[in-house]
This record gives sequence, structure tokens and C-alpha cells, in this order.
Amino acid sequence: MKILLTGATGYIGHQLALTLAGLGNCVHILVRNLNSPNIPRHDNIIVFAGDITDRSSIRNAMRGCIQVFHTAALVKIFAKDSSEFYKVNVEGTANLLAEALDLGIKKFIYTSSCGVMGSSVLKPKSENDPRTTTINKDYEFTKFLAENLVKEYVHKGLFTVIVSLSKVYGPGIETHPISVNRIINNFIKGKITIIPNPGTLETNYCFIDDVVEGHILAMAKGIGGEKYILGGENISYINLFQTIRSLSGSKAKLIRAPKFLTQTWTVLQWLQYKLTSKEPFATLKAVQHIFCNKTFSSAKAIRQLGYHPTPLKEALNQTIQFLKKQEHV
Amino acid sequence: MFNKNYCLITGASEGFGKALALDCASRKMNLILVALPGPELYYLANFIERNYKVDVVAIEKDLAVEENCILVFKEVQDLKLPVNMLINNAGLGSTMLFSEGKMSFYQKQIKLNITATTLLTHLFLDMLKANGPSYILNVGSLCSYFFLPKKQVYGATKSFLYFFSKSLRREIKNDGIHVSVVCPGSMNTNLSVTMLIKSSGWLSRLSVMNPEEVAPVAIDGLLKGKEVIIPGRINKLFLLMDKLLPAFVKKMITNNQMKNIKSVTAIESKQKTILFTEKHNSLTA
Repeated sequence: MKILLTGATGYIGHQLALTLAGLGNCVHILVRNLNSPNIPRHDNIIVFAGDITDRSSIRNAMRGCIQVFHTAALVKIFAKDSSEFYKVNVEGTANLLAEALDLGIKKFIYTSSCGVMGSSVLKPKSENDPRTTTINKDYEFTKFLAENLVKEYVHKGLFTVIVSLSKVYGPGIETHPISVNRIINNFIKGKITIIPNPGTLETNYCFIDDVVEGHILAMAKGIGGEKYILGGENISYINLFQTIRSLSGSKAKLIRAPKFLTQTWTVLQWLQYKLTSKEPFATLKAVQHIFCNKTFSSAKAIRQLGYHPTPLKEALNQTIQFLKKQEHV
Repeated sequence: MFNKNYCLITGASEGFGKALALDCASRKMNLILVALPGPELYYLANFIERNYKVDVVAIEKDLAVEENCILVFKEVQDLKLPVNMLINNAGLGSTMLFSEGKMSFYQKQIKLNITATTLLTHLFLDMLKANGPSYILNVGSLCSYFFLPKKQVYGATKSFLYFFSKSLRREIKNDGIHVSVVCPGSMNTNLSVTMLIKSSGWLSRLSVMNPEEVAPVAIDGLLKGKEVIIPGRINKLFLLMDKLLPAFVKKMITNNQMKNIKSVTAIESKQKTILFTEKHNSLTA
């Protein structure tokens, strides 16, 4: 089957492209830079130069395809100009949807983020739960707007499904400055690791292999117009690092940083940015998101799609082996 | 104190009403949420029940229709739910020249902001008295203090609520019912408002608060029996400036701040987002 995949040079898109190609599909990928080292290489993958902000390049790559996976997005904590987020995440998605409808695409899967749903209170959040706080991050706001567009297109006759990912980790390419992989890697190498205080705050983590599988299941079994959380286990920072410690034998020190201290640090980072233009590592707004529970339930995906997340320990073990092996390469 | 009693909130499915509902739930109050028909109300009710361990009753009614106010009261009566807190939050906002608005819109705005509040307060008065100490919170607006262009009817309806609350408060104080009015400035309540705020002057943008920040201030003030609740330091400063500055300076400031604001009404919000995407599509087509 001919499939268009955007975001193939990203962490998730890269793995998804290789898996789809391995299953015998002909995968069209749309990439901005033909020299990117992150382009997935496989006989079944055809590379198209282009950009989701350029409609004619989309049309060129989408022609003849039956399905679309839209995983491309601007994923950053910080951008000098917030319209960058809008241009890529909202307008880019609008371009793809319009072309997909026009070219008669049968199914369109949109990769979104659990961040759109916000923090959880007592119980893990599920797809229909409302947000309890206003969206204040540009990334999340633009992903929210894009989700609305994707839902609207259902009424126009395009079969769309949204998959929402929590914090993804596991073997794959490195594209994000503070990915879960990178944090695990630092910890197993014995570097001091900072976690929010209280360390009992819980977050959901999902394994890359499960995410890839979840995308394929959503394409095969997802109901049009629906949204599915593709998550893993909910675990506190303390328990997560204890598990990694027991699996890797790491002796790294864990430091619990109180919210106030972290906020002060981000203000200093911002001042540094203003003085030297060095992009901040984190922002004040992002800190608020770290100091709350972010637990999610994949029950709907398990029930409707047959999604089957890997047990955390097993997935972490694979990740640790991968990260250790990478060190030797 | 709130274990068996209920707090009724109108316009509870989104924006400030949702924030008030979440805040009341976090204080272990049982809730009756009234909102326009739609799944969001049930999603919220379900979410609150699971996460805050309080009882939540959802009632789908458009309060701009007078009869529905009576139906809400009857339903509460039939279910034998003792209400000791009434939050009249449902309202219709707008920012537009008077000539731009349709008559039907202003009728609806007046019915929802003024009539529904008056009727519900009247209907629930005896119940509130019986379940005292009780509370009535009316959601006014900071704009009832300032005579802003493009806010004529909206501001006037909020001034009604301001007057109504302060006057009624004196009347029913001895019945054990506390009446408060909260006058928030701009809030990021829904998509169209958020977009609108991005187009407004720096001074008005500075005062923008999130509903989840305003809600606890409002409920704290209500429980403390405050007459008028002004959330936010900047908003308080606005009021102080209003008292101190000469009239011509104030006029200059308001005109300047409202100049660039695009006209928008809440009722259009859903259409606006669709229009916005359609416009976008035609641009890129």
C-alpha cells in the first residue's frame, strides 16, 4: 500500500517509516532537507523534497497514496517567534488535510500529544476529560488548534483519527534536547539527575515500539473522528529512577528540586537569553507543567484497537541496553 | 458544611463556569451544573465526580429561554437537592459597535445576562433561605466600571448585575443569604476570546487572567461575604486609576486601548473558528 508519512526525520516518524516499509508498504516521505542524517533508509521508502507549509510539495508526495500519517510538528519548548508554531503545526496540518480531501485519501492519522489534555487530578486522564487549566504553551495551543481542524475534516468527509502520545522513550534517533532517552542516558552514565519535588508526582511514559504499533493499529481499526491515547504506565519520578537504577546499576545522584528554585533558574535562563540570545533550556511556563501529575489512561486504545503496551520494566531494559550499546558505536 | 448541600452553577461547561465548578469541587461541594446542551457538560460532570469525589448533577438547558429557568428549578426540586449556593455565571459577551449587532443578538444577551439571573435568583430564594447560611454569586465584569466603546449592551447588562447584587445584598442579609458580585477583567475563556485578547492593547492584555486563577479568588471572596470581588492586582489598579485620573485622560486611554480591537461576539465563536479555517483554506488554495 502507498502511504504518505510526514515527520520522517523526527523520532517517531523515523521509526514508523521503517516499520511501515518493513511491512511491505511503499512509504512516501516528505523531508525538508535531503541531506538530513535522520532520513530513514529502506528500499520501500521514497524520499520527496518538500515542506508541509508548501502545498504543492505535499500534493506531489501525496499523489497515488491511500493513507496518510501526519507526525510532523514543530516540537520545541521555546521559539523566538510563536507564529513559527502556528505556521507548522496549524497551517501545515490544514494544508495536509485539504490535499488529503482533494486527492481522496482513505484514512488520515494525526499524531498529537497528551499535552493538549493538560495535567491530571486524581485519576489518569482519558480522551474526553476536560482540561483544568488554560493552555499556555504555544506548542500545546497549536496542537489543540490542529486537533480541531482534524475533527472538522471528519464532517467534510475525510476519515481522520487522532492519536495522542505521552512521553515517548526507547531506541531511536535523537531529535529533542530534553528527551526522556537523554535523561535516562545521563542517569545511567552516573550524572546527577534533577527531579521535581515531590518525587511522588506521576507521569505517563510510552515505549516507542508501542507508539509505532499504536499508529498502525489506529490506521487499521480506529474509528473515524475518534481520538486514542497511546500511553504506557503511570509512574512517579522516584519509582521511575529507582527502576532504572535497579536495571542499570547506576549510582547517579538524584536531586529533588523545589518548584521555586526551578522557577528562579528559568528566569535566569531567560535573562541569559535576552543578553546573549542563547535559547533557554526551559521556560517558566514549562516548569508549571513539570510540577503536576500527568497520568493518562490508554484504556480506550486497548479496548478498541487492541493496543498492547509493553510492561515498563521490559521497555526500560531494552532502552538501557540500546543507550549503552550506542555509547560503544 | 457542604456535604449534603449543592452549589448550582450556570454556564458551567466552559470558560469561567468550568473553572468555578472545578474550584467548588476541590472544596468538596456537591454541584448542579447547568449549561447548553452538548457532550462537554457530561464530560465535565463525569470528570469532577471521578476526581473530586463529590456528587454532580448535570442539567442541559438554554437559559436564554425564560421557561428553561423554571424547568431548571423544577428539576432541582424534583430531585430534592438542597441548594445553598447559586452562581449566576451564564452570560453572553460581545465586543462590537452597536450598529454591528443584530437585534436578536442583543435580545438574547439581555435575556441571558439579566433575565435568567433575575429569574433564577427569585426561584431559588426560598430554598436558599431554608438552607442558610447561603450564598449568591453574580458574575459581573470590570467593564461595568468603565464606559467602553463596543461594550454598550454587554457593559450595561453587567452594570445591572452589579446594582442588583449590591441592592439585594442589603435586603436579604438577615435571611442568612450572602450576595456577592465578582467583577473580573478579561479572561482567556474560549478560543475566540483568546484570539481577541491577542489583538487588544498592551494595557488590557496586561490585566488578562486565566479563569482558573480568578475562580478561587471569587469563591474565597464569596465565602468571606465580600460585597464586590475584584480579582487581580492590575484590575484593582485600574479601579484606583479610575478614581484618581481626570476624565479626559481616562477617555484617551480607553479609546486608545479599544481602537484596534476587532468586533467579536461569543455566539460567533464556533463559527469564527470555522470561518478562520475556511478563510485559511481559500488563501492557500
